[in-house]
Amino acid sequence: MASIDISGVKKVYAGAVTAIHSLDLAIPDGELVVLVGPSGCGKSTLLRMIAGLEAITEGTISIDGTVVNTKEPAERDIAMVFQNYALYPHMTVRGNLEYGLKNRGTPRAEIDRRVTEAARILEIEPFLDRRPRQLSGGQRQRVAMGRAIVRQPKAFLFDEPLSNLDAKLRGQMRIEIKRLQRNLATTSVYVTHDQLEAMTLADRLVVMNGGRIEQVGAPLALYERPETLFVAGFIGSPPMNLIDIDDLRDKGPLALPDGTDLVGIRPDTIQLSPPNGPHLMLEATVELYEPIGGESHLHMRLDGSGQLIVAAVPARTAVTEGGRATLYVSMTDLHPFNRETGQRTD
Amino acid sequence: MIENRPFLAFLTHLVLIIGVVIVVFPVYLAFVASTHGSGDFMRGLVPLLPGPHLLENYGFMLNEGISTAGAPPLSIMLLNSLVMAISIAVGKIAISILSAYAIVFFKFPFRLLAFWIIFITLMLPVEVRIIPTFKVVADLGMLNSYPGLIIPLIASATATFLFRQFFLTVPDELMEAARVDGAGPMKFFRDILLPLSRTNIAALFVILFIYGWVQYLWPLLVTTDSRYYTVVMGIKRLAATADAEPQWNFVMAAVILAMLPPVLVVILMQRLFVKGLVETEK
Repeated sequence: MASIDISGVKKVYAGAVTAIHSLDLAIPDGELVVLVGPSGCGKSTLLRMIAGLEAITEGTISIDGTVVNTKEPAERDIAMVFQNYALYPHMTVRGNLEYGLKNRGTPRAEIDRRVTEAARILEIEPFLDRRPRQLSGGQRQRVAMGRAIVRQPKAFLFDEPLSNLDAKLRGQMRIEIKRLQRNLATTSVYVTHDQLEAMTLADRLVVMNGGRIEQVGAPLALYERPETLFVAGFIGSPPMNLIDIDDLRDKGPLALPDGTDLVGIRPDTIQLSPPNGPHLMLEATVELYEPIGGESHLHMRLDGSGQLIVAAVPARTAVTEGGRATLYVSMTDLHPFNRETGQRTD
Repeated sequence: MIENRPFLAFLTHLVLIIGVVIVVFPVYLAFVASTHGSGDFMRGLVPLLPGPHLLENYGFMLNEGISTAGAPPLSIMLLNSLVMAISIAVGKIAISILSAYAIVFFKFPFRLLAFWIIFITLMLPVEVRIIPTFKVVADLGMLNSYPGLIIPLIASATATFLFRQFFLTVPDELMEAARVDGAGPMKFFRDILLPLSRTNIAALFVILFIYGWVQYLWPLLVTTDSRYYTVVMGIKRLAATADAEPQWNFVMAAVILAMLPPVLVVILMQRLFVKGLVETEK
């Protein structure tokens, strides 16, 4: 168990492509940090630099107070779970679990104890003598996790470990990873592009874009108060509606800071009946009615500007496709942004 | 597509059987010839059924050989061939798997150039570079020796290329996982890459063993001492006697014996060979 400190880390590939621009991040002991962002944002590169699989161009990464820049992955005492699991195909499950321990010269009795323990936790005891190719995707995923936990490393690094699983299994494994991490209280860095996975797993969420950190914080804090336009658009499903301020001026008593030219409205803060307190009132035509189950998504076109807007409303709502709807948004639910700087203005 | 057309089935089988007969008949004739006495061929009629001299002919060839043709007993030539073929196969595999490992998994300057230089040697078969190679081997004093027979034939672009293609299909994550698990380059090679290449190695061994076994020109050049004759070149000497009629029964016994080891290698390694082609462990 250990803290991870990343300070001023930069990654420049040959050919002067900068993958990561001077990045700082401190991960305290026992925390599960999720790096999330679109593909090519540098999240995997950052993880691989922590693992030692990628050289650090500038800056330092320390694990447990020791700078590890020049250390081999094995010397960093971290364990990594790969997207395609990277299990050794010619070894049995037991062989896979043992391999790292054997290489470190762990005594036989200790190896057996840890493998048995990990197999019990992950419920893979029945497969210990099988080969990876005889296992299903979910079972392979467990073995990959097992290989990480038998090592009892200072930190777990997860590189999109669930993206090869089907949706249902992904949901199950997500919960298991969270439970496991809680029980073991091992510092973890988890990379994903799936914002649902990111929101549900993270103690702290790091949203990355273009090699830079956009915002760091608790998942709900990021959802409720995105600091940049990118975070506003990336976190939340369906994504936040962004409406030009000029289209809203005559819709209600706007009182937004100077420099605001774009206003964000979360689909789930749009109401169909007037709230108490100051609010906006918008008229729209319903184009598509999308029932999800617990709620329904209304895809509408605003009168005037003709902009598309999405609202998440209770499941059974008395609107029909092609019909009219009046939308209300409380003033406190508005997110003011400046288009130029991409920053929040309040 | 399963069709039941008796005529088509008959026709295809007929073609197959004719093909098999065409291939097998000369081999059968060689076998028949090797079982007759020495005079049986002088009469102009080639017998089609095995004769009574099987053990006698083979025993004679294995133990004594036709000394008038300057050939040693077949057992020595077979042993020489075996040593040469196995050494070439093992040597080629060892060298090419290591060079392919270097080319695929390590980043060093001129890596691609190194690969292409190896690849270009594919265009230069033994026959093309035989005179300079002979000169080098002669100057090193390796004529009439096993190293002289073996070493010049070991460098192999084909095997390097095949191993390279296989290594390229091994996911990078496997190496990264091994690095995280504390396996250095040699350990990764030994514990992971080598077991994964098992079937490829088996398949290559079969091919390269046969390649080594059938070498004719090179042994002919570098050996003048009959103790180092290999069987394939030895047969030529048996047949080319100066004044006398060739003793076909003995020559054919040598041919059959020369044919056996490659056949055995193919049959014994067939299971692994086919397995290598059918299933991929990745």
